[in-house]
Amino acid sequence: MPTRESSFAAAWAILRKECRSEWRTRYGLNSALLFAVTTLTAVSFAVGRMGDRTDVLAALLWVVILFAALASLAHTFVREVEGHTLTLLRLTAAATPIAVGKLLFNLLFLGVLELVTVPLFLILMGAPPPHWGLFLGVLALGSAALATAATLVGAVIAQTRGRGALFAGVSLPLLLPLLAAAVSATRAQWSGNPVTFELRLLAAYTLALLAASLLLYDHLWED
Amino acid sequence: MIARTTLFLWIAVWTVLALLWAPLVPALAETTRVLYFHIPAAWISVLALAWSMGHSLAYLKRRRLEHDDQASAAAELGLVFCIGATISGSLWAKAMWGSYWNWDPRETSIFFVLLIYGAYLALRSSIEGDERRARLSAVYSAAAFVTVPFLMFIVPRIYFSLHPDPIINTGGKIQMDPRIRISFFALLIGFTGLFFWMLSLRVRVLRVARRFEAVDAERAGSAA
Repeated sequence: MPTRESSFAAAWAILRKECRSEWRTRYGLNSALLFAVTTLTAVSFAVGRMGDRTDVLAALLWVVILFAALASLAHTFVREVEGHTLTLLRLTAAATPIAVGKLLFNLLFLGVLELVTVPLFLILMGAPPPHWGLFLGVLALGSAALATAATLVGAVIAQTRGRGALFAGVSLPLLLPLLAAAVSATRAQWSGNPVTFELRLLAAYTLALLAASLLLYDHLWED
Repeated sequence: MIARTTLFLWIAVWTVLALLWAPLVPALAETTRVLYFHIPAAWISVLALAWSMGHSLAYLKRRRLEHDDQASAAAELGLVFCIGATISGSLWAKAMWGSYWNWDPRETSIFFVLLIYGAYLALRSSIEGDERRARLSAVYSAAAFVTVPFLMFIVPRIYFSLHPDPIINTGGKIQMDPRIRISFFALLIGFTGLFFWMLSLRVRVLRVARRFEAVDAERAGSAA
């Protein structure tokens, strides 16, 4: 039975390994960024600047983030399966540290993705300046929930025949509550309404998903 | 045999009584009659989902494929009832509210249940191997289970509902005509019975299919 410290060390090592192998090819990040910019361009080109419609902007922002996440977050697990490296990885660490490491990586990945996409979105769509504290808080909590859900579903999806094709559809039920809360919070901060309810809801949802994930990671691989 | 006949007669007799003997709710007029089929279908979609998720959790704990049979059979049947509830509700919405689909909270939640069923069954169909399919779909089912309370909580808060429970049940359930209530609950029991009967049939089919597969594999093994 691995001790608590060695599990943390293993998760940390997995995160570093993920970062290193991503940095070597940058294939995942490049394609995700390209995809995000494509979605953003499509949205911006189709509707133009809408600085006075912050209700629509909030929805579009989360659609862009969601699409970018769905196009890229299953990648960490699919890469292991397609490269036939999963068995070796599982010899070096238990299921939970592996999944936690990949969750941390996905979180980081999503952060980098948003660092590019969100400012571009605000500029291209001519959005009024948001309440930065609240806006970033919503973004952080929403991303945490998104990464947690996507990591669990990604690990399941990597072992199926459909893989990428299935990922978006199968994740959607887990993403709908967070999407509803995040859009409504983003909308509220722009119009100056209180967002505490949505923030609390997002935090609770993230924690519930995380707790369920930690219980379920053990069942991901067995054969 | 007796149980089946009783179930058949029960549903048949109460359907006739619900349509002829029970009066109409004034606010709903002729559309009252959808209540006897739409609400049981919606109730069974939720019941089947809970049944499926419960057996998924039991599978993760005990690792017996019987639990997986129950989970998958309940999901398949639940999807059928859920489609029935969605379509009957949508037709009713057209008659009462003037549009088939309006993202009313009830519409949102039934759509969500539909989505979980769809995703769960799509996931199942793409996994090879009984054990692995059972395990991974149970993991997914358990994760989807987490979202249910949040959706129940957040949706009514964000969207405003026009669904008629408040109209029928103002101040508790007292004002509903007793004949409506009796026929409604009788049919609710009848359709729930129908669901469990269909479920047991489906589970038996799955069990027999697995036994045949095992025999086939054995025969192929001894022939080789």
